[in-house]
Amino acid sequence: MTNDAAPVVTGTHVGKTFANGAVVALENAQFNIPKGTFVSLVGPSGCGKSTLLRLIAGLIEASSGEITLHGTPVRGPRQDVGMMFQKATLLEWRTALENVLLPTELQRKPTRADEDKARDLLGLVGLGDFAFSFPAQLSGGMQQRVALARLLQTGADVLLLDEPFGALDEFTREHLNLELLRIVGELGATTIFVTHNIAEAIFLADQVFVMTPRPGRIARIVDVPLERPRRLALQTTPEFNRLVVEVRETLGEL
Amino acid sequence: MLRRALPHLAIFAAILGLWEAAIATGLIRSIMVPPPSAVMAAMVKLYLVEGTIYRHFFITLWESVSGFAIGAGIAIALATGSALWEPFRRYVTPYAIVLNVTPGIALTPVIIAWFGYGIGSKVALAAVLCFFPIFVNTLTGLTRPDRDREELFRQLGASDAQLFFKLRVPAALPLMFAGLKIGLTTALIGAVVAEFSQATEGVGVLMSRFSFQLNMGASIATLLSMTAIGLLLFYSMEFIDDRMVFWRREARREAASRARARAWKARRGD
Amino acid sequence: MALAPDPMGVALRRGLTHAGLFLGLLLLWETSARLGWLNPLFYPRPSDILLSFGRIYVTQGNVWYHLYVSLGLVFTGFLAGSILGVALGSLVGLNPTVRRFLQPYVIVLEATPRIALAPLMIAALGFGAPSKIAIIMLVCFFAPFINTLSGVINVNEEKLELFRALGASKWQILRKLVLPDAVPVIMAGERLALTAALSGVLVAEFIQRDKGIGSLILTYTRNLNMASAFACIFTLTIVGFLIFKGMEWLDRRIAYWNHDADMARVSARRKARWEAR
Repeated sequence: MTNDAAPVVTGTHVGKTFANGAVVALENAQFNIPKGTFVSLVGPSGCGKSTLLRLIAGLIEASSGEITLHGTPVRGPRQDVGMMFQKATLLEWRTALENVLLPTELQRKPTRADEDKARDLLGLVGLGDFAFSFPAQLSGGMQQRVALARLLQTGADVLLLDEPFGALDEFTREHLNLELLRIVGELGATTIFVTHNIAEAIFLADQVFVMTPRPGRIARIVDVPLERPRRLALQTTPEFNRLVVEVRETLGEL
Repeated sequence: MLRRALPHLAIFAAILGLWEAAIATGLIRSIMVPPPSAVMAAMVKLYLVEGTIYRHFFITLWESVSGFAIGAGIAIALATGSALWEPFRRYVTPYAIVLNVTPGIALTPVIIAWFGYGIGSKVALAAVLCFFPIFVNTLTGLTRPDRDREELFRQLGASDAQLFFKLRVPAALPLMFAGLKIGLTTALIGAVVAEFSQATEGVGVLMSRFSFQLNMGASIATLLSMTAIGLLLFYSMEFIDDRMVFWRREARREAASRARARAWKARRGD
Repeated sequence: MALAPDPMGVALRRGLTHAGLFLGLLLLWETSARLGWLNPLFYPRPSDILLSFGRIYVTQGNVWYHLYVSLGLVFTGFLAGSILGVALGSLVGLNPTVRRFLQPYVIVLEATPRIALAPLMIAALGFGAPSKIAIIMLVCFFAPFINTLSGVINVNEEKLELFRALGASKWQILRKLVLPDAVPVIMAGERLALTAALSGVLVAEFIQRDKGIGSLILTYTRNLNMASAFACIFTLTIVGFLIFKGMEWLDRRIAYWNHDADMARVSARRKARWEAR
């Protein structure tokens, strides 16, 4: 087995309860995510997908079990993971470029190289000409691109995305999903993507974690053996539909 | 510009004309409402011939501004302390609420007894009156929950100081400036009311003197000088607000965006 | 099981700390006055203020009359001023032409400390209740006027389109959409107005010192009876607090859809009425 196949993120019997054990947000999650894998977490509200993401990010602490990142247990927020939310969460008093530089600035004084990287990343997400625009001057889709560039600026190789394009219209979302695939493919990053859209989950991922609520748990892990790069036409193939049916069955929708 | 102003001017002239005519024909008694001509005459006398108003104008302006500076300084310091330290907030808030529901103007006689008949008591009343709106707006701004962005900062490993200075303070600025604008207006009210009660100089003194001499034209002329102070204070703060909270308005955003692009080029040469 | 924090105990401890801190401050004040660090002529001792409360409320009982006079003026002036404000505000708000020509006057009026007109009002209307009510009306008018105006202007464009599509008349749009939509903003204006009314009556009474709580404070201060002056000021604190709570209560009644609990209450009442039908 090559080193590439070694799991980057692992979870053993991970559980999370809220309100003194009254609410079970996540129960006994078991998973190994190899380097460079794109994983989708899909399920209805309350299935624990956002909880799982926040556990991996170290924003909340597991009630039981353990999560490891690059072989070391997660004990709090770490610099080797980056996160992106449904809202762009940009600072409206900073230009796009300054927003991208924020993660660096919180660690040290940005060097010329950091600044170059930020500009390059804005180019990578297609906003090269908007480096000095303020968030209010950008559309919703462009704001999310800035947030993506900011995520990449952290240098993290594990990307956690919580319905990052969920607030955008269908066309923009499809377009940004393709861009996201291209970018994470180029970087070889390990990606965990939360969504409640089954087709989107399958289209993007190598593996789909199908999650069900009450208590939140990973009901099934579906492998997606579709070729890359992914094309939109893929969504009309029988192979794709078979996967959709498989996920829907697990969710008890058929 | 002129085309737009013309109807306004016409209406203004018409109102003045009707007003003058109503008094000339005895429809309104001039003892209650002075005719525009009397106001004009008084203005010429006060502002141009004698020029007596300017000294009073600047005294009231100075009282308002220094009272505002003191009140705002204390308000912002206490609000920042309360925002940073929860126990402090717990113990300050009840007193702040008591101060808020008490009409500050009720303190006028007491403050004059404490600080004397001079400028000190006017400054003090202005400071007391402007304290609360600034305190409450700054505190609300600094403690307003911003969960998504707080989570982002935490995820990026920001320290408490970074969270405060890079997120909370800028995010609080719009509300804080709203409070400062209200505070400037109430500071002026404080200065003027204190002048009514006991003083020898300031536009408030002129106002009550002219009123009790039933010199209505001069009263209105003095009132207009208070309006001028009010406008001056408000627009100065508006000017600062507009530049500090530049991200709110389209035109200022664009200007700031261009300025930052230029600064970047100048610094890095690319 | 882990020890759960005891909310009653925490509340009690906090309450005690507050009370302790407050008593400590009072004690510090009292002793500094007794030791002569603070001149008791100007800075009354807490014990003296307490005694004054007893005197003006019970032994002499003179505060009741003055409070009655002042509050009568406050409510008369407030009602007149704020009704005028709301009426003119909706009128001006609905008519873009009037609005455009009135705007410069509004800006000028907004910058003018309205209370500065108090001496002028007294000069024009003479001593007595009418000039005091006029002053209160003047300070009350503006906040409801401006808030009604902005509430009416900022009516939701989509809802307005819906009403037009349904063929609503101008009056129906005002009654069923614009005013209800503006109610929370108008209420915020009314709160400001009532607070301003209280300040207005005080200024009016400072200038014409015949009766009312304002003239009482002034008289006591001039006689260097500071303890009684403070008892009057703290009376106004209580009045201010009641006004604050009263307006809050009114707001919950009128704009019930902004408060979950009140919404549930109104919803239950309407259901009962429906079922009774």
